[in-house]
Amino acid sequence: MRRKIAVDSLAVRLGKTILLRLLFGALSLLFISLVTFVADELAPGDAATVIAGEKASQERVILLRKQMGLDRPWPVRYAEYVGNMAQGDFGRSYFGTTEPVSSILKRTLPMTAKIAFMAIALAAAIGIFLGTIAAVYQNRFADRGVLTVSTLGVTVPNFVLAPLLVYIFAIQLDKLPQTWDVVLVAPEIYYLILPVCILAARPMALLTRLTRASMIDTMQQEFIRTATAKGVPRLQLILKHALRNAILPVITAIGTSFGFLLTGSFVIERYFAIPGLGSTTIEAIQQGNMPLVQAGVFVTGALFITLNLLVDFLLPVLDPRIRESQV
Amino acid sequence: MIVRIPRKHRGKRDPLLIFGAAFLLFLVLFAIFAPVIRDAQLKPPGAESFSSVYDPVVDDAGKALKPFQPPFGKAILGTDEIGRDILARLAEGARISLMVGFIVQIMALLVGITVGVLGVYAPRWIASPLLRLTDAMFAFPDILLAILIVSVVRTDTFEGFLGPIGKMLPVIVALSFTAWPSIARLVRSQVASLKDREFVVAAKANGASTFYLATRHVLPQLMGIIMAVSMIEVAGTILAESTLSFLGIGIQAPDPSWGSMINAARLNMSSHPITLLWPCLILSLTIFSLNFVGDGLRAALDPKNSRA
Repeated sequence: MRRKIAVDSLAVRLGKTILLRLLFGALSLLFISLVTFVADELAPGDAATVIAGEKASQERVILLRKQMGLDRPWPVRYAEYVGNMAQGDFGRSYFGTTEPVSSILKRTLPMTAKIAFMAIALAAAIGIFLGTIAAVYQNRFADRGVLTVSTLGVTVPNFVLAPLLVYIFAIQLDKLPQTWDVVLVAPEIYYLILPVCILAARPMALLTRLTRASMIDTMQQEFIRTATAKGVPRLQLILKHALRNAILPVITAIGTSFGFLLTGSFVIERYFAIPGLGSTTIEAIQQGNMPLVQAGVFVTGALFITLNLLVDFLLPVLDPRIRESQV
Repeated sequence: MIVRIPRKHRGKRDPLLIFGAAFLLFLVLFAIFAPVIRDAQLKPPGAESFSSVYDPVVDDAGKALKPFQPPFGKAILGTDEIGRDILARLAEGARISLMVGFIVQIMALLVGITVGVLGVYAPRWIASPLLRLTDAMFAFPDILLAILIVSVVRTDTFEGFLGPIGKMLPVIVALSFTAWPSIARLVRSQVASLKDREFVVAAKANGASTFYLATRHVLPQLMGIIMAVSMIEVAGTILAESTLSFLGIGIQAPDPSWGSMINAARLNMSSHPITLLWPCLILSLTIFSLNFVGDGLRAALDPKNSRA
């Protein structure tokens, strides 16, 4: 009987934790939306001055402002801004065809999301693998090699790594395309190899170092000594006993390093002329196209928050200790 | 601010650490003597004093040389796509990067230390919103907030303001906003752990005011770790500045930032890869050195490492 009560209350506690996390995520999103709103308020000129054009008279701008409701106090407009965004309405682009920002997002976001998730998956897989190898062969040749490469990976900026790899693989060896083509002449994956690898480099290096440190720490614990003493096979010892314990801080770090990766995608998309959200946002900044800038920043922030939420939910699934202790 | 490194570490000679420190020294000198380097490289013989990093290198007759001069000719590192001297532009870029890194770090330390200390010592109604704000800032990944801010603060707003700093001001403002929260978080956790140590409690028992406690007893303890972390943060700031400039939203052309030089040189990469090499090399070495010296400093200050 007592056991059943304990299980129930655990489920309730878990439910509460999940709700709290979701609430925190929603508040973070609200904060980002507030900052993007304030940015637009502070930016020189507003939608009315842009739409009226440079030569418009003062009266016309004031009239337009009234028609668009821009003369209302800011809390009213902020509430409307959040309400519209919640319905997926980010306003219209100032220039060109003035198409709705939401349809620009629909066109560019999938590409960015695809590259970002491929890169983080690659970074996590290789990072954890190399980190484990380095920890197992601590202070030996493999460890030194991995450490050197990962130190370089953390410090070399991706817009330095990009020309280097492009020079080797695209120009000298001529195996991969240098940049995105308007009409793809090869399967898309060929175009994605270099961008994804370059984007993955920094998080991969960080995750490698972290896995190594965490594994070395775990391998010195008593339970590993016990397992060794009772004759657990080495591979099983490393994978099942050590790695499963050591991997938890690494999982958390996947969430935070996703941040570098997202801003890195701004650089990489621009470098390879990939039609994604990052290159679109940078272009919008240079044109002063505020609705598109706001949407780009907001959606990038939202991706970051979502992945970190997922990581937060994944941790108790992987670690019974966190499951038990969460209040 | 002297960082005391325990004696047993002073004897240890890590070649990479020495290299990092030496490179940083070189970089500072390189930046300080940028005008001298520029004149030595560019001033036509007999000319009064005019030389600029914005104009092509000229030969003895005063005629502009063709672009993409190879290295070790008239210009030691060669010239770029407009025929400008690369060495002189790198030196000017070093000034920009170091200045941005230094000013942003000062701002981040001022705000971060204040917020961190207030977060522990201030009454709840001040501390709690400050800490919530600090946490909320982490909702923005990496330099996304800086990207948003430079889209608002345009360079022309500060035209002619504060002389040479005016053109860097949007970047400095943007990066200052993104740099302080991590310092605030570090200072808060460190202050919170020092707050109840005996020497602080003893000073309190002797009637020291909270302000005196914080500034004379607690903060001096943190100087070492703050210095070490600052080194790594400056590396991040310099990288962020180059990233913004690379994207074309940081330091604006024709002012030479390493990031914008890389962006310009990559367009001619297949024909003139050497032009791209120099800014990439100096930027990578700078980031590497700052990280390495910062890490070394932090490891040396960490009591956990004293047995190593």
